[in-house]
Amino acid sequence: MEYFIQQLINGLTLGGMYALIALGYTMVYGVIQLINFAHGEFFAAGGYAGAIALAYFAGMGYMESHPVLCLTGSFVLAMAYCAYLAIGVEKIAYKPLRKESRLSALLSALGMSIFLSNGMMLTRGVYDEVYPSELFQGGFDFGMVTISYLQITIVSLTAALLIGLNILVFKTKIGMAMRATAQDKTMSALVAIGSNRIISLTFAIGAGLAAAAGIMYGLYYGSVKYDMGFVPGIKAFAAAVLGGIGNITGAMIGGLVIGMVEIFGAGYISSEYKDVFAFIILIAVLYFKPTGIMGENIDDTRV
Amino acid sequence: MRKRVASILAIGLILVPFLFGAVYAKTLRIGSMSPLTGPYASDGTDIKNGALTAIEVFEEMGGIPGYDKIELMPQDTACDPRQAVAAANKLINLEVAGVIGAYCSSSTIPASDVLDEEDIIMITPASTNEKVTERGLAYMFRMCGRDDDQAPAAAKFIKEQLGGKTLFIVDDKTTYSQGLADGVAKAAKEMGMTVLAHEHVNQGDKDFSAVLTMAKKANADIFYMSLQGFSPAAMMTLQAKRLGMKSQIVTQDAMFQPRFMDVAKDAAEGVYLTFGYTDPSTPEYKAFEKRYVPKYGKIAAYATYSYDATTALLKAIKAAGTTDSAKVKAELMKLDFQGVAKNVKFRENGDSGSTYIAFKVENGKFVPYWDPEKGLIK
Repeated sequence: MEYFIQQLINGLTLGGMYALIALGYTMVYGVIQLINFAHGEFFAAGGYAGAIALAYFAGMGYMESHPVLCLTGSFVLAMAYCAYLAIGVEKIAYKPLRKESRLSALLSALGMSIFLSNGMMLTRGVYDEVYPSELFQGGFDFGMVTISYLQITIVSLTAALLIGLNILVFKTKIGMAMRATAQDKTMSALVAIGSNRIISLTFAIGAGLAAAAGIMYGLYYGSVKYDMGFVPGIKAFAAAVLGGIGNITGAMIGGLVIGMVEIFGAGYISSEYKDVFAFIILIAVLYFKPTGIMGENIDDTRV
Repeated sequence: MRKRVASILAIGLILVPFLFGAVYAKTLRIGSMSPLTGPYASDGTDIKNGALTAIEVFEEMGGIPGYDKIELMPQDTACDPRQAVAAANKLINLEVAGVIGAYCSSSTIPASDVLDEEDIIMITPASTNEKVTERGLAYMFRMCGRDDDQAPAAAKFIKEQLGGKTLFIVDDKTTYSQGLADGVAKAAKEMGMTVLAHEHVNQGDKDFSAVLTMAKKANADIFYMSLQGFSPAAMMTLQAKRLGMKSQIVTQDAMFQPRFMDVAKDAAEGVYLTFGYTDPSTPEYKAFEKRYVPKYGKIAAYATYSYDATTALLKAIKAAGTTDSAKVKAELMKLDFQGVAKNVKFRENGDSGSTYIAFKVENGKFVPYWDPEKGLIK
């Protein structure tokens, strides 16, 4: 039982990170029907931006006096940076191709992914960028089960971001405009919703969430690296498809499912094939329900 | 039309000096193969930097008569057997005099088959799997030690020094890491220890919480961590500490990288690992340190071995006075000199041997801790 609870917590932490990344895929797909393969790189860039900001704060000596403030500052800076990066990428690589076939935009996305990850390698080097580990030392010990403060922080922060996004999309005017653009670009333009602005905003929000996941990843695993966006990117993409691509709630559920299946598969069956379990679930769900878990009401809720 | 002819002529004239350059400047080309991209890019870059340093030193000492310049042709293998074979073919086309590399045993083995067909000498600074030199290839040499030396040394250390009775073994399924993990498991069983579990993870994994929770439950005396690179190992060590795993971590040569402690920080304290003994007090090591550190940063596992491999190759070419592989090989076999990492002397099969000792991480440094012959080092 204790073993089960420990694995559950491990799965929740990992799944939460996948969910945050998956949202970016699903939101962009909802608005312009593009699989943004460069999204994993926004996640990596966020991790780097966070590392640089934290190192700067530590260098200035603020880290010891105001650790929480510094961490919040790093999150805000990294998320803002990645949001701008994503808007720029969209303007350079996707907007000129919007009228072309979807395949050209997809190829452009793949190219952008390679460009960004190599750009990070050239500018930041091939070695791991280290995160400060003094933050969130220790945790709660319940016999066999250990929950670190870091895991608690990550899970609660993920939950806060997910709730915030839900409010933004379903309860505000901006959210309504996003949903309208996703449903019908021409029609929403006729009622004075600027689709370019909404598309930029969607990219910005998705990349901001990925950047938050990037910092959490850095804190949790201790370091970031230029190529770290690839594997989580693929998993998060699978999570988005599993949940029903285009559907926000679906991406959250998909992320958690993929994270849990991976951890439980590794913990109970074989750690060698943990990736296989995640993709078996994906195939199984798509076989019986090709639109994904939350895929049926795709026209109402997709963004 | 006349304008076009004129411009072609102009371009031709501009290119003329390059043509002459090619004729008169004779360059000796040495190839290097190591992962410069992908998860092991840092170790691969160390190998390249070690080779570059060796060439720099050799040129300062007069170079090789008949050549104006020695040039390194670094190739990226990405620790991928297919890319390694492609890199080997490319080096053959570049007509290199010899190759330093590769890093992963799984790359070195197929690449050496290709190079051997063309009679090109290959010296690996880092591939420790025993198969590398056990295939009867005439031109395969190895600067580092072998896993069938390392595994028994590790098992002996665990039993005699740490008093371990039970082991939990994890590897990441590469020729190197799995080979070594199997070797340790076999040696441990022969010495009467129990292997509670032998788990595998994948290359490129970052999250080890599931397998570490298993290890925590198994609560073995020793957690033997056999991974291809220091980066996943540092992550595993850090996560093990956060999860509250109590087993003593013992690991191997790939983690002999100061960056292991940069990432794992205080979680790395008290970790043991086996590595070929390098005496840091020799003048050769000090000279290397002085030159390497300001330019490339910390000295890591295989930079020194790569330096020695390159130096050995250049010395042999100089002594042979030709790049003919058979003659260079004859000179390589005659070599006996004190390198940076160790005393270089090749055996008949191409190995040069290494004494594996155990190191302990103390205050962020690798401290020599135990010697299989003499016991504790103090």
